[in-house]
Amino acid sequence: MGDSLTGVIRVSVLGGHPIVRGVVGLACREAPDLELVSESDRMDGAVDAIVSTNPDIAVLDLDMPDGNGIWSLRELRRAGFPGRVLVLTDRTDGASVLEALRHGADGCLAKAEGLRGIAAALRRLAAGERLVDPALERAATTQLGRFATLARESSEAAAALTDRERQVLALLADGNTMRQMGRRLGISPRTVERHVAGLYRKLEVHSRVQAVTRAAALDLIDLR
Amino acid sequence: MAGKRSAIGAVEAPPVRRRIGVVVVDALPVVRAGLTLLIDGRPEMEVLGEAGSPDEALDATAKLRRSQVVVIVGLGLTGEHDSFWLIRNLRERFPTHTILGCGANADAGVISRALFVGADGYIDKNVDPVEFLQAIRRSSEKEMVLTGPAGVGVARIVDGIEQRRELDVRLTERERQVLAVAAEGLTARQMAIRLGVKERTVTTHLARIYGKLGVGNRLSAIRLAARSGLVSVGGSE
Repeated sequence: MGDSLTGVIRVSVLGGHPIVRGVVGLACREAPDLELVSESDRMDGAVDAIVSTNPDIAVLDLDMPDGNGIWSLRELRRAGFPGRVLVLTDRTDGASVLEALRHGADGCLAKAEGLRGIAAALRRLAAGERLVDPALERAATTQLGRFATLARESSEAAAALTDRERQVLALLADGNTMRQMGRRLGISPRTVERHVAGLYRKLEVHSRVQAVTRAAALDLIDLR
Repeated sequence: MAGKRSAIGAVEAPPVRRRIGVVVVDALPVVRAGLTLLIDGRPEMEVLGEAGSPDEALDATAKLRRSQVVVIVGLGLTGEHDSFWLIRNLRERFPTHTILGCGANADAGVISRALFVGADGYIDKNVDPVEFLQAIRRSSEKEMVLTGPAGVGVARIVDGIEQRRELDVRLTERERQVLAVAAEGLTARQMAIRLGVKERTVTTHLARIYGKLGVGNRLSAIRLAARSGLVSVGGSE
């Protein structure tokens, strides 16, 4: 990695705060093998700029003033950016870190650490290593565990439902009355009630609102 | 374990912390022996049982009187009941135990499947023994562990879990069985024999599966299944 002639590692940075951009810029200036080739302070237009500059490493601040930096990360990967991506974050919760890794980050550092050793981190990334702060790694792994458990519970809940019950659930979530559901499904209101009762029992709830909420939590329906 | 009391009934010594109890499950006797030596070599751990098959493992675990045990499940168990069947059953029967999937260079599909069916973590046999033991220790404290070759990104494991769930939700139990058998490369006729149904039934199931998965042929369906860890292509070890 790096320019084949000079061996220099080309770096772009997207950072909301001047300090973030400053630290990265300083590290690049002081290192002979690192070169800052582009800098952006807002997400708008940044992905295009990075893609056209084509650096070896894109450093993305997730805490941007104009939105969640994760969007830029996703856009960058969707645009086919082949380089390494290092994300910087204030957030230490497992879900954010997991999301960043999920959408294509090769490294994740906590800004709270002061970004000491950013130069070394950039070199390791350029060499192909994945680089995550140990604390963030632990949080992400824990979140992964929760995700797996939720996926399993969701799957078990879905498997417990008959096809009819799933249809009824979807219609319930859309706010249909018993009569409307009966008409939509071509069955009598009494049969609808029976299905709804079965649904409540399997979801362990007592009302329509509870059913919809539980189903959404288990990812059985989309609330969008 | 309580401390000792002196004959005069004076203050007892502070209670010794109980050793972490481990059950070792692996198809290979040599692997079991090696892990047992490694674990018993630590003062804070002890092997309480071992097994070479899923049924033996359930028996060995059921016999124990502890409420919290770490069960290391090798992912290479095959047969009518495989490692994933075992993890699923251990999870259901022993909710307080810690289950660790243990593979050798397993890919994201295998790891995600192990986590999905109920493992609390994964350790790879290719790690340093010290790291292996540390992982057991951390997992006994209810921390999720994922130690293995750095190449397997967390991203792909998450994708695997999600795809597995998608498949699970969309397909019925029977359809999943059919897909798993199809992935072995059998013809419809061979599948019918294996599943104990008519060939016509198999083709009907397959057609419905393709429809639900939005694919047009068996190869695409199998690829989807493999990515989600529903089937292991190439084995987990």
